[in-house]
Amino acid sequence: MSNELNRRDFVGKAAAVAGVAAMAPLLSACGDGGHQQTGGNSASGLKKALPAYLPSTSLKPDIPSVSNGPDVASDPGFLRYPSQHPATVSGVPGKGGKYTAVTPLWGTVPPPGNSFFQAMNKALGIDLTIKSADGNNYATIVPTMTAAKRLPDWIQLPTWWNSTFNVGRLTGSQLADLTPYLSGDKIKKYPNLAAIPSGAWQAGVWGNKLYGLPGGSTKFSVAGTTFYRRDILEAKGITSDDVKSADDLMNLGKELTDAKRGVWAFDQVWTYLFSFWDVPPTWRIEDGKLVHKYELPQFLEALDWHHKLATAGYMHPDALANTPADTRFYSGKVLISGGGTGIWHLADHKAGTAANKNYRRDAFNIFAADGRSRPATFMGGSTSIMSYLNAKLKPSQIEELLEVANYLAAPYGSREYTMVKFGVEGVHYTMKNGVPTATDAGKKYVQPTTYGFLVEPPAVISNQGADVVTKDYTAWQAANVKALYKPVFWNMNISMPQAMATAQAAQTVEDTIGDCTRGKKKVSDVQAAIASWKSSSGERLKRWMTDNVLDKYGTGQ
Amino acid sequence: MSTTEVRQAQRAERLNWRIRLRRDRTLLIMTVPTVVLLLVFNYAPLFGLVTAFQYYDPLIGVWHSEWAGLDQFKRLLDDPVFWEAMRNTLYLSFVQLILFFPIPIALALLLNTVVSERIRNFFQSIVYLPHFFSWVLTITIFQQMLGGAGVLNHFLRAHDIGTWDIMTNPHTFALLVTSQAVWKEAGWGIIVFLAALSAINSEMYEAAAVDGAGRWRRMWHITLPGLRGVVVLMLVLRLGNALSVGFEQFLIQRAPVGHEAADVLDTFSFYYGISTNDYGYGAAAGLFKSVISLLLIWGANKLAHAFGEDGLYRK
Repeated sequence: MSNELNRRDFVGKAAAVAGVAAMAPLLSACGDGGHQQTGGNSASGLKKALPAYLPSTSLKPDIPSVSNGPDVASDPGFLRYPSQHPATVSGVPGKGGKYTAVTPLWGTVPPPGNSFFQAMNKALGIDLTIKSADGNNYATIVPTMTAAKRLPDWIQLPTWWNSTFNVGRLTGSQLADLTPYLSGDKIKKYPNLAAIPSGAWQAGVWGNKLYGLPGGSTKFSVAGTTFYRRDILEAKGITSDDVKSADDLMNLGKELTDAKRGVWAFDQVWTYLFSFWDVPPTWRIEDGKLVHKYELPQFLEALDWHHKLATAGYMHPDALANTPADTRFYSGKVLISGGGTGIWHLADHKAGTAANKNYRRDAFNIFAADGRSRPATFMGGSTSIMSYLNAKLKPSQIEELLEVANYLAAPYGSREYTMVKFGVEGVHYTMKNGVPTATDAGKKYVQPTTYGFLVEPPAVISNQGADVVTKDYTAWQAANVKALYKPVFWNMNISMPQAMATAQAAQTVEDTIGDCTRGKKKVSDVQAAIASWKSSSGERLKRWMTDNVLDKYGTGQ
Repeated sequence: MSTTEVRQAQRAERLNWRIRLRRDRTLLIMTVPTVVLLLVFNYAPLFGLVTAFQYYDPLIGVWHSEWAGLDQFKRLLDDPVFWEAMRNTLYLSFVQLILFFPIPIALALLLNTVVSERIRNFFQSIVYLPHFFSWVLTITIFQQMLGGAGVLNHFLRAHDIGTWDIMTNPHTFALLVTSQAVWKEAGWGIIVFLAALSAINSEMYEAAAVDGAGRWRRMWHITLPGLRGVVVLMLVLRLGNALSVGFEQFLIQRAPVGHEAADVLDTFSFYYGISTNDYGYGAAAGLFKSVISLLLIWGANKLAHAFGEDGLYRK
């Protein structure tokens, strides 16, 4: 199985956990807002800090990327693992330095000093000790390190925890400023890093300075979408093209639900569907002023539609009880379900076909709820995996680690990529029918996310052994690339005072929204919650955002 | 008493204390590990309560976080969501007291009447077992049986009887969580009562039987008075814990029934404190709860003493 998929699997799960929060601007809270910059970027400052973008051309994908402007494109697809593994790095990047890196790991931590780490150290030319920490506890481990000012030389800080880790403040004190090494044409020294799209670098810029090294990035950064069981719907003569409006989708509820047979049309869909009502992730500019999504009439329309869906009996009762959805989708007990795009890969195909050999996942095309407007959905952050170097490192050390980062960012299928993801041929993997297949040692020692969580090349779609998944997913991206737009403050890091971060979280409103979309509360209850949120902290939040972000930096685009 | 007499008495007492120390030395040494454990894991963390009076920021730590005074508490008392959680907690606690508390006692009495040891052990194992299930598992079982797509509703639907919304109905949520608690914990709760029952001198039953007392008379005049001390102790503890009705059970079922029905003080601290990085606020809610709990346990203990029972300790 392609290791690229593991990352996607993880990112999908993480996105599911973080929910829409992952799609909001990359927030970071600080306790005493007055003493600190907001972390935002002005358009000109950002331009100066950002590295040049030089896409890699070393390997030609089977399904090329379809682009829509410089920052938006579908991910390229590979049906086969490339048979030739061209080298993109000459010589050994390191000079023998000794470093420690900490990354989260959702999986079994490989034993330290094993043959894969040894082989990697030899290939990288440094003595790098990777300390993998349990991903589930990561949010509690990192603050103890930052509080004691004892960060390792290289650390991964997932962007959905920017607020928890207070990255906004760390960038000023404990994390190294990489602008002098990477901005503009300086990045040409590291061609693999230069192939990482600008949007991902942008998510690593704080206060007009570049700090972060992006992990898996994409120009099709949509956190999730609305999936359907293509095998079952096609058998009933329904295709994605039949769904062009919210009404069309609602009608499927009646057509597909057969409660007596234990089949309901819908699982929960709100999280990745509300944007089809022309609702932004959080903010929008109207007449030069910030407007929160809660204030938009179409937000209430979206809520109303979802409330109807829940109360009409088209949603599976277990979905209303908020239990996990995957098995229902596999067993065909629900036919339409919202979910992170990370789920769309080989492992899902295997699980689905185990339940039903015809299993085929597909996603509806992005549509406008009214069926008339231009279909549109907002993009999320271009990456959620960001690593940082320690501010205590000497310039020569930083340069050495950037050379190492360049090695780790080598494109899909290259010699370096194969080494980072699969290890040494014959020891950690063997080629079987053109697919790198892990040996026992490989299964034990090679966790693709150990190095991948430091730096990774841009995402590609590849599912060896399940061409249908690669073809469906790339086709869906290509068909919808025109519908993506950059929301206000896209990829901008914003450090907020504690009270503002709490206001932004709007827990009472979000709770009531959840209750409403599961049919427990009416839209008017949400309106009441919004009204009380606005008067208690929402208006203050908007003022703060206007004064400290919009007026200072603009929308970041 | 003259001054010398008082002095003598005091000296005797002191001596007495020393003698007692020497006599109980072994026992005291045996308690040391527990005391250390308590100090390290229960008392030392009390220091963290200081965050309830701060705008706490984990990055800069307790020493440098900005002082908030009583602001967090003011916010708390003005927060309708907090009072909702408080109301839910008290209501759930009350329902559980009425519906849950008598069940382990009844079960214990019932088990006590079973003569065959094999049957008793068998039955005991069965009622203990659910205690070792996690809440996730317990609620999943309930969902599979009683949920909208569960066994019961599937049967009702198949026979066109109309469905019965049990798992996602906020109005009957208190009954649902209580029945879950009964299913899971009632068996475990009988242990302490069984121990008390075994402490009753069986000669008393024999003597009463000889005097012609029937089964009910013996239960009324011997068994129940024998249990009274333990029942009162458990009641005092239950009242002291009135504000802790559980956490996972509500965390898992919060979305299905909605936060207004399912938010209790502990989930309030979690959602409105920890998960929005508002640690000081969460700590304030937690401290508020602890203080009220302390008052409750103190009051209940007083009440127990007033009725001539031991309560938490003998007066």
